[in-house]
Amino acid sequence: MQFTKLGLLAGLAFGALVAATPAQAQVTLKVWSIDGVDRPGIADTYSKEFDDANEDIVVEYRAIPFDEIVNETLRAFATGNAPDIVSFDNPDFALFSSRGAMLDITDRVANSEIISQADYFEGPLNSVTWDGKLYGLPKYTDTIGIFYNKDLFAKAGLSEPPKTWTEVADYAEKLTDPASNVYGITFSARAGEEGTFQFLPIIQMSGGGADKVNTEGAAQVLDIWKSLIDNGYASRDVLSLGQWDSTGVFNSGNAAMAISGPWEIDRMVEDAQFDWGVALLPTITEADQKSSALGGFNWGIMANTQHPDEAFRLLEYFVDQEDRIFPEFGNLPARGDIELPVTGEAKKDAALVVFQEQLQYAQPRGPHPEWQKISKAIYDAEQQALTGQMSSMDALNQAQATIDTIFGN
Amino acid sequence: MPRFSAWLRDGVGFDILLVGAALLFLVALAGAPLVYNVLMSFQQVDMFTLGSLIRPFVGFDNYVAVVRQPEFWLVTRNTLIFVFGSMSGQFVLGFALALFFAQNFPGASTIRGLFLVSWVMPGLVVGGIWSLILAGDYGVLNVILRSLGIIQSNIFWKSDPSFSIWAVIIANIWLGLAFNMLLLSVGLAAIPKDLYEAAELDGANAFQRFWTITLPMMRPTIGAVLSLGLIGTLQQFDLFPALTEGGPANTSNVAGFWSWQLSFQLYDFAKGATVSVMMFLLVLFASVIYVRSTRHEVRG
Repeated sequence: MQFTKLGLLAGLAFGALVAATPAQAQVTLKVWSIDGVDRPGIADTYSKEFDDANEDIVVEYRAIPFDEIVNETLRAFATGNAPDIVSFDNPDFALFSSRGAMLDITDRVANSEIISQADYFEGPLNSVTWDGKLYGLPKYTDTIGIFYNKDLFAKAGLSEPPKTWTEVADYAEKLTDPASNVYGITFSARAGEEGTFQFLPIIQMSGGGADKVNTEGAAQVLDIWKSLIDNGYASRDVLSLGQWDSTGVFNSGNAAMAISGPWEIDRMVEDAQFDWGVALLPTITEADQKSSALGGFNWGIMANTQHPDEAFRLLEYFVDQEDRIFPEFGNLPARGDIELPVTGEAKKDAALVVFQEQLQYAQPRGPHPEWQKISKAIYDAEQQALTGQMSSMDALNQAQATIDTIFGN
Repeated sequence: MPRFSAWLRDGVGFDILLVGAALLFLVALAGAPLVYNVLMSFQQVDMFTLGSLIRPFVGFDNYVAVVRQPEFWLVTRNTLIFVFGSMSGQFVLGFALALFFAQNFPGASTIRGLFLVSWVMPGLVVGGIWSLILAGDYGVLNVILRSLGIIQSNIFWKSDPSFSIWAVIIANIWLGLAFNMLLLSVGLAAIPKDLYEAAELDGANAFQRFWTITLPMMRPTIGAVLSLGLIGTLQQFDLFPALTEGGPANTSNVAGFWSWQLSFQLYDFAKGATVSVMMFLLVLFASVIYVRSTRHEVRG
């Protein structure tokens, strides 16, 4: 008897405790991105804001370095510990969406009052689309152009940026000055995604693409690039320099031109002690079609999330705040409907106009689930040609053979 | 029951218990992953079947595919150059340093201790430092070589196909030098001093003493250093991403890095596993030679 009474009391007390906590069950959302590893970025900032503003949702944010996020997510997905929302570099996205690892959000986006599919640029949108369905949303975008040192140009008697690759070689010769450690041009032809990022546009402007790389035009430009290195107009180290390091050489005044993207602008404004400008990526002949690389990250909800509704709400919040990503974080929105504010920094504003024009010509890498293998075939061929191990055409033919097996031709 | 506990406490049972624990540990932590890896090299694997054991069996398809890769022979050649280059550099320089510090001069052991700094440093840090030293345009090494008049124009260590593998070898020799020196120093210290005294009385010169006493007495140590060196060199990974990423055009790619690249960059886990099984066979071959060469040794 005593025992039952005690039990009853305990039960009551427990009930009262439960009633005292908020009636709504809390939902935890895990968000993984590369932001916040070295400086505050979009994902960590917005996740915290959303977490603070919503009682019913806890957002756990985890910053993962760029090189590890795909791997880490793969492993987590294989063992059932995947995050709810994750962001990938755009060519990596198809790897996941094509295999059903990402949640199909086509209908949710269609019904959303915040997100409108029509606002996005075509290239970034293609990279989150698979089989006609939408598996994610572009987070931000970027592309590449050619930066040039106006002071050095004036000294060499040049006034306009180069429009074709032949002109690039011509200008580079005039601009190179070994006595004062100045190279004509710097770019990144490294054994990795950055190498492909800078070379694929050449293939595309010569009429090729990820599935057709052995074009005459691409071989022709490779020959030009090789001559730049062989003649000492570009450092041989472009074969091992990433874009950030390569543009560092430009910023310090040791290269007169540099191929790189808008992510360099803030540092360039600070470091470059000279007048500079940026122009559209040169083409093969002046009449040729323009092309450029498409960079940037995408958002996606993973297919095995327990809370798709809440995850989508968070995604809507991310999209809702996209007008802040340029002024606060320096990233370009992947949407045409966002007016970018004038910063007042003349060189930066001028560069931005060029990059926004360049974005219209930017083409995505892939999307293809085996993009990494295609990419390796491309940068291997590029390096084989630039180091003279093979002729440009032979190297591209070999890459084509590898790519044919991937596309099943 | 008391008999059983006695058997367990002082009899054969205790030995079995100890060996069993170690064996269990080995099987669980080294054996199982190894078997899984070998299994994976005969299966068709993709990233979404990584977690499961049962996958389509493809026989030797992965092996054939790996050998048919255009870079296969280049990687094989690089691996051999890397292994022999690194090992001989580490061993010869390590032995020279060990002999040098075995001489009794003031501060010998302190300076020898300082050499261990390189061994403590993580490979990625060492790679980062050597990446700066070996940089083509502004690297320290080029500046030194140029001012000594050895080279006329800069060597692009990391970007020139004829030097890229050597860039990694140079860094790896530096990284492994201290470990080699340490093991060889221990071996040297174990040689009884009276042997040298006797030899000296008999009129043997320094070279003869080295050839007839040091080398034969060091044989087991040298064997151990070389086989550990082989394993250490084959598993060297950190220096590659920090220095060359296997480039340009795979001219500095070796089996270990290639296996990682296939698995974790191209997500072709089956081929990655296949390459690592091939490497395993190489190590097995070397260990067999090592074990056979030390079998007839007289142990005292």
